[in-house]
Amino acid sequence: MTDCTLLEAAQTMNVGMGQASVGGAECTLQSVLGSCIGLVLHHPRMKYAAMAHVVLPDSAGRDACPAKFADTAVPHLIAELAKLGVPSSGLVAKIAGAASMFGVTGPMQIGESNIAAVRKALQKAGLPIMGENLGGNKGRRVHLNCVTGTYAIEILGQPVVKL
Amino acid sequence: MTMTKSIPSQALDALYPLFAAATHEASVAMGRWTGGLITLSLDEVREIPLERVCSELGIGDEPSTMVVMPMTGEAGGDMILAFDEVDGRRLASVLLNRPVATSPEWNELERSALCETGNILSCAYLNALTRALNVELIPAPPYFTYDYAAGVIEQALMQQAATADTMLICRTRFRREGAELSWHVFFVPNAEMRERMRLVTSMHLN
Repeated sequence: MTDCTLLEAAQTMNVGMGQASVGGAECTLQSVLGSCIGLVLHHPRMKYAAMAHVVLPDSAGRDACPAKFADTAVPHLIAELAKLGVPSSGLVAKIAGAASMFGVTGPMQIGESNIAAVRKALQKAGLPIMGENLGGNKGRRVHLNCVTGTYAIEILGQPVVKL
Repeated sequence: MTMTKSIPSQALDALYPLFAAATHEASVAMGRWTGGLITLSLDEVREIPLERVCSELGIGDEPSTMVVMPMTGEAGGDMILAFDEVDGRRLASVLLNRPVATSPEWNELERSALCETGNILSCAYLNALTRALNVELIPAPPYFTYDYAAGVIEQALMQQAATADTMLICRTRFRREGAELSWHVFFVPNAEMRERMRLVTSMHLN
């Protein structure tokens, strides 16, 4: 599994389940989220951002696929941004997703666990959450402008939300 | 968290007849339900890396109309009937013996007709899997949704994703009087069902 993709200028990249991508100049990261969380770290001054498509709350010590799990995705994104010279100080977080797509009687309600785990990991890293759009029972199509950090969230039948 | 082994390609080949039998049973039931209008055929049984599921199955980021049919019991999973809106409307009109609806919203009768179609499909599929795998499966009520298909597939993959990095998925195609429809049924087993299938096929191979 690809650990993290670094985008060239003006690229658009879809971030699949368990993947992470980092982008700067005019790059856009996009994804579709159900019960997963689209975790975004943005550095407003450096104008870089990273997104992880977090699937599950806990890696249970696994090293592989760090973007797949909430507890490993946060340090993974910080490390990938650091490789580009982006310091962790000044980073802010935005999170979206964690829907219960199959309703309360569904087979596995992972959304709430993902929310708690992502918040815990961000708190541990000392990163503030500047915006969030979570829960409900509908999917989300999300777009991240890596320069401005604008995180646009589309839910069918609702106005677009910008974090 | 215990990680399960991926299913080798020979085992996937061994799973093919199992899914083909289930698809045949579903096709017979669908033929009865639609007066012989619509039939099904097995498209593929694959293991796909988690991050590539949507791209490899051609599931884009556009909204889609779907009926989700959860299966529970000793093992389980989800069947997702995803269809093109025009063909879905036509089927509903045939089943309801009414003209094709023109309102942008699906009405309750149309939703009910398509959920019943999903129910018939999933019960036939479930019967075949129960016999082949000797496992108790219980269908939960189907429900209708208009949403991003990638998000729905994502939710269905959750249980497999908890124990594996590659996902077992079966895809079925539909035909109407011989012509292919833009419909698919995805069967996504949960972790227990996936493991059960892996064990059954490995016994056959040994």
